[in-house]
Amino acid sequence: MKQPAPASSPWGRRRSRLRRWAAGLGVLGLLTAGPAPVEAQRRYVVAFANLTEEPGVTVEGTGFTGREIRESFTLAARAHPVEMVFYDNQRDDARAVANAEAGIARKVDLYIQYHRGAANAVVAEKLKAAGIPLLALNYPIPGAPVYTADNLAAGRIAGEALAQFAGRSWRGQAMVAAVIGNLSDTIDRVPERAQGVAEALAQRLPAVRVATLDTKGNPVQIAPLLGKFLAGQPRAKLLLAATDDATALAVKATVEAAGRAQDTAIVSHGVDRSIHGGINDRKEIDPTNRGSIVIGSVAFYLDRYGYDVLPLAMRMLRREAVPPRVATRHTLITAANVFIEYPPYDMN
Amino acid sequence: MKPRAIVAIVVALMVLGFGSAAFAQTDCKALVPASPWGPNDQTGATNRITPAVTKAAAAEIKDGKVIVMSYPLVDGVPLFGTRFTKTILTAVSLAPGAAFGENQLTYMEDTWLSQSHVGTHLDGLGHIGRKDCYFNQIAMGKFINQNNMTKLGLEHLKSFATRGVLVDMVKVYQAANKFKGNAACKKPCLEKGTVITAADIQAGLKMYNVTLREGDIIAIHTGWGDLFEQFPAQNAVYNSGAPGIGKDAAKWLISQKVVAVGSDTWVVEVIPGEDPKEAFIVHNMLITDNGIHIIENVRTDLMAAEAASTGRSTFFFSMTVPKAVGLTGNFIAIEGIR
Repeated sequence: MKQPAPASSPWGRRRSRLRRWAAGLGVLGLLTAGPAPVEAQRRYVVAFANLTEEPGVTVEGTGFTGREIRESFTLAARAHPVEMVFYDNQRDDARAVANAEAGIARKVDLYIQYHRGAANAVVAEKLKAAGIPLLALNYPIPGAPVYTADNLAAGRIAGEALAQFAGRSWRGQAMVAAVIGNLSDTIDRVPERAQGVAEALAQRLPAVRVATLDTKGNPVQIAPLLGKFLAGQPRAKLLLAATDDATALAVKATVEAAGRAQDTAIVSHGVDRSIHGGINDRKEIDPTNRGSIVIGSVAFYLDRYGYDVLPLAMRMLRREAVPPRVATRHTLITAANVFIEYPPYDMN
Repeated sequence: MKPRAIVAIVVALMVLGFGSAAFAQTDCKALVPASPWGPNDQTGATNRITPAVTKAAAAEIKDGKVIVMSYPLVDGVPLFGTRFTKTILTAVSLAPGAAFGENQLTYMEDTWLSQSHVGTHLDGLGHIGRKDCYFNQIAMGKFINQNNMTKLGLEHLKSFATRGVLVDMVKVYQAANKFKGNAACKKPCLEKGTVITAADIQAGLKMYNVTLREGDIIAIHTGWGDLFEQFPAQNAVYNSGAPGIGKDAAKWLISQKVVAVGSDTWVVEVIPGEDPKEAFIVHNMLITDNGIHIIENVRTDLMAAEAASTGRSTFFFSMTVPKAVGLTGNFIAIEGIR
């Protein structure tokens, strides 16, 4: 090991003076640099490869579109030193790989991948080779942290809300429960929602039977499926969990048409714009509509993904540790808190 | 004690109990700061417009040129939510034989059905609060009736005769090479959701070598007002959001002790806001916490053009606010005099 020259030697004295100069310059630098550290001022380029941006196509078994997710990143990026680059994976493996290659060519600082398919492994490999950190959205990719909806937890919240309502309003009365929606949609993990609902109801109302009514993704099936179910339960109170907001509204229309609205409580999943709105919208979940039989919907916040995901991305860019899995903080949205969780701000 | 008396006492206690719960007041001292002008202040930032401030502002009038800074108030302009404005003309004396006297006098007048926060308008101190707490910790629940407020009405405001300062954000963003426009605007405008920061405003002031003074009114040109001018064609776009100041800029403007902040948008602050769970937070910061007025739908394009052609962005801010007792705000007309 090379020993440093002693301070008493000419070379050592010169180095000592140099050190003092350097220290002086360092102090001067600290005095003049201002409060923001250099690292905080660096701007990063972050890529977000979206699942799909096909107009009108909804994702994750909710009423949200890919466009809403992208816009949430645009809005959230305003608070971070990042420039967003957007790609559309178009639910296509080849496109997903091509997008990752484009991101690598652009030398992005971090890549957020929202895709389900075999391409994820290829994308991860290519990004790793390029030294670009990867953050997965909703679909886990080995070696990358994932931000994801927690369908099971959301379902439990919905089931709990129904059970609490039943306890408050229908104690001692005959009740049945049903989960209705696209229960075959395993890709979007909708069955986990149903499982969560059933678990919460079983825990809180063990005597209540929970039926499952699978629309198989065809909303037209809601009326016949539910009609048959209602006919079989002429005197029971009905606790209905819809797996998405559009289904909840169709369920409401069906029970109203059947004259069973007084017997029904509905909880939904998603909280998309079909069920809550702006100050002038008067949607189903609204402070002026507190008597609705749709007592609430469990928020999935896909329209706020950017606000949750970008802080994680920033931590990764600063080489801070992030948990391997971060889940959405699902919340029950009712007429009492909808304007707190979703303040209406648009004039229209 | 007789059973009837016991029942009466129980009923009285229940009424008192429910009553106190129903009319419980929020602790406004925990939610809103006290006014620097004392516990009885209902005037807010216009306290800053002293004779000296007005006299200094008068020095801005150099050649008497008057620049219009408000939009015409007419049916069809973009309005917030369920707000409306409707005029009805009374012209009965124009009917044959309805004229008065040998001089054949005729007359006309209007019925104006309108809400106050329409068109170019001023947000008063009673417009925005936190819960039932408004400017200067006033628990407003005790001071409202079905017609108006009995505190913080426009009648308490002092003059707005002060210096106006235009900040051209379009130029600032273009100069900084970060301009992103909206295709619906015929003239350059910042895109909705653009957060105007304190640094942006400082850059805009520096562009015209202006330093803010206590008592100034700042008018921020974003270009978004171009959509207002296209009413009703672009009402939906205009209403869907806005470029505007964020919390950082609001904080800085508060520190500069301005009297009002105006802009050519319906909201002055950025929409969508910086935090999706906060509602019109800059309104709270300026009006509720600091008594600083917000002026919305200010026509800024003409003054921006004037500033660009002359190299001067300051002017005498001429605006009369009616002494409308107990109102939360009102439509106004503004002229910038140079």
